[in-house]
Amino acid sequence: MRCLPCARLLLALCLAGTAGSAPAATPLHIAAALDRPAIAPVLAAFERAHPDIDIRYADLATRAVERRIHDTAPPPDVVISSAMPSQLAAANAGYAARLSGAVIDDWPARFKWRDSVFGFTFEPVVFAYRADLLPADIALGSHGALFRALTDQRSRFCGRVAIYDPARSAVGYALYQADAGHTARFWQLVSAFGQARAHQVPNTRTMLTGLSEGRFVLAYNLLGAYARRYAHGHPEIRVVAPTDYTLMLSRMVFVHRAAPHPDAARQFVTYLLSRQGQRVLMQQTQLAGPPRADTSADRSTPKRSANQRRIMPIALDAGLLAQVDPAQRRRDLAQWQARFAAPGQPGCGSADFTSGRAGPSR
Amino acid sequence: MIRITTSLRARLMLWLLAGATALGTILLIEAHISATRNAQRAYDAQLTAAALTMADAIRWAGDEPVVTVPAAALRILSGTAEARVYYGVFDQAGHRLTANLDLPIESGDDETLPAWRTVSHDGTRWRLHGRQLDLAGWSAHTSLTIWVGQTMGGRRALAARLFEPAVMRFVILILAAGGLGLVAIASTLAPVRRLRDRLAGRRADDFSALDARVPGEIAPLAATLDSLFTRQRAARDSLLRFTADASHQLKTPLAGLANASEAALESDDPAVWRAALARIHATAQHAGRLAGQLLHMARLSHDTTPGNESIELATLAEQITREHAERAALSDDTPHELSYINALTGSAYVTGTRWALQEALRNLIDNALVHTPTGTAVTVRLSERDAMLWLCVIDDGPGLASASPQALRAAFRRGENTEQPGSGLGLAIVSSIAEAHGGSFSLDERAAGGCQACLCLPRARP
Repeated sequence: MRCLPCARLLLALCLAGTAGSAPAATPLHIAAALDRPAIAPVLAAFERAHPDIDIRYADLATRAVERRIHDTAPPPDVVISSAMPSQLAAANAGYAARLSGAVIDDWPARFKWRDSVFGFTFEPVVFAYRADLLPADIALGSHGALFRALTDQRSRFCGRVAIYDPARSAVGYALYQADAGHTARFWQLVSAFGQARAHQVPNTRTMLTGLSEGRFVLAYNLLGAYARRYAHGHPEIRVVAPTDYTLMLSRMVFVHRAAPHPDAARQFVTYLLSRQGQRVLMQQTQLAGPPRADTSADRSTPKRSANQRRIMPIALDAGLLAQVDPAQRRRDLAQWQARFAAPGQPGCGSADFTSGRAGPSR
Repeated sequence: MIRITTSLRARLMLWLLAGATALGTILLIEAHISATRNAQRAYDAQLTAAALTMADAIRWAGDEPVVTVPAAALRILSGTAEARVYYGVFDQAGHRLTANLDLPIESGDDETLPAWRTVSHDGTRWRLHGRQLDLAGWSAHTSLTIWVGQTMGGRRALAARLFEPAVMRFVILILAAGGLGLVAIASTLAPVRRLRDRLAGRRADDFSALDARVPGEIAPLAATLDSLFTRQRAARDSLLRFTADASHQLKTPLAGLANASEAALESDDPAVWRAALARIHATAQHAGRLAGQLLHMARLSHDTTPGNESIELATLAEQITREHAERAALSDDTPHELSYINALTGSAYVTGTRWALQEALRNLIDNALVHTPTGTAVTVRLSERDAMLWLCVIDDGPGLASASPQALRAAFRRGENTEQPGSGLGLAIVSSIAEAHGGSFSLDERAAGGCQACLCLPRARP
């Protein structure tokens, strides 16, 4: 009973505190598989434009983002992920709210689905290697060249190659699917990785730090935006967009249907897709938005860019759903493991050289 | 009095538009049904294609069926409408091999495949298609059920697109019906308007027949107008004649008065004065009676509706006869033999106006007294024939002297013995009164000499 007065006082103080200040900023919870530094300028610009919105940014792995969509309560307001299939699956399962407005209508059709999920970046998937640790004349400019280098000069790469672990990384799995969908010869490359005792890592960051620390000399299928940004500070790392075909990936964003702050969420996504938001994205980050000149309705033909690289955008349509089928996924992973561990030519020469994942397996 | 009811234009428009709307609505409903059905068919074809693509990708591997989900099947399902997609593959026992969503798919026990369903899930409607796939491996065989589904947005959009032209057609139909209606009404009513203008432009004294081209439907109206004009002309002619005759009749006694007084003024002899005064007196009496008759005539022609008084004719006839007999007895002339005979048994009632019937009988008696020589026997006889009452004034005088009874009955016509005082109005008045009471008047020469003037009146209940 003695505590009652002080509790009352505390309550009164709290009330006075809230009543006296400006209206509380609306929090906006973003669950993102996108490194915060990579997108920070856009977030800052948005907060400047909307001072009443307070962004709470959760920087997560793709699988964690996937879980947040259906497992957390309240769910995040905005979901961003580079794992295109799972984002599309979430929209297909009804988790994405439909948006409307001039900005949404204006957004290229190839980069939106049902006006509810949007690909707001257009990033190449690249190779990265240590130029200082590999011979100067080594050719790593394409998938074919990479395969030849791996098989011909296996000793140089043995145990020092980093690739995505498809079991732990949704985006890694999606990229392998895209690779395998592009050419069946991809499985030879997987076998070559296996024989080179490649490390399977969960994200691009691990690949990049491993490269700079010298644990890896080559990394495969990095997200170009991160790699380029990282290479700025680490000149020994060379980033290559393969010339035979370069996968182009779009980070996908949607407003959660059960978003606790739907208005702020809509404002954020609309800003992200607006000319203004895209300009900030283009000029102040390593991310780039999708091409706006949406003249071709055909989503699958590779585009030739100015320097004759074939770019292979991962089409943002219902076909992505095939990649998240659980049974399919189990079989794909099994196939992956089978190819990766395929017996064939001898490995790195020393049998005791352990291959495997950099982290615990699932 | 003219009361204005719903205009013809409004009526015609109402019927036309109501008809067009009813017809259009039926067409709209039909169009909606067919648009929905066609959209359904088009999108169901997508489901079939997707299911077949799915089926093609299922293989028997080892001892179990392997379900590969082809991206193409999902692209077909989603289509350009970007529908949300569902797929599920179930084994014979209904266990799920794979599915991307938890839609309520009960394993159809007695359902025949391929099956079509529309289900609601999470507030969204889904169209589902299920078909069976029989798989045979080297050692076993089984049958799977493949379900594919899509949300209905694309169908709705397509149905709306297909329905749109029907709505346009409906609007055009209504507008066209309205426009045609206005034109039709204008052209239909044009003859009526022409007729109206023709009538408005007529002079007041123009009773000639209409000269207008009218359609068949209006011809009866025009003919009725024509006959109305004819009757009006006749009425006006008779009025003019009446006025002219009346003036003429009044002119004669007035001239007589002037002559008599003038002659008296030129003489100093009181005997001449007296004779002149006697003439003046007689002429004034004659003029007074004439004026009275004119008044009656005018009243009768204006007030043709008979009263509904119940009148006992025998009493009336007897009373009038007595009055005349007394008056005749007072006059210095040799009196007529005036008598009354009631040939009826019981009372005789008629319905009508008392003064009119009295006037009629007075006229007849006067007529008989004036036009027959003194000493003639005049009999008023009330009898019954053919369920009618006959009130006759019979004399044994010289008869009608070749004048036709019809002519005598017309106003201002007199018999040949024009030296007798009289206006010629008497029989015309009697005839009018008889007709006003639903009866008739007849004047005939009797075979035995003299003539007989009869009022024939319908008998009424007392």
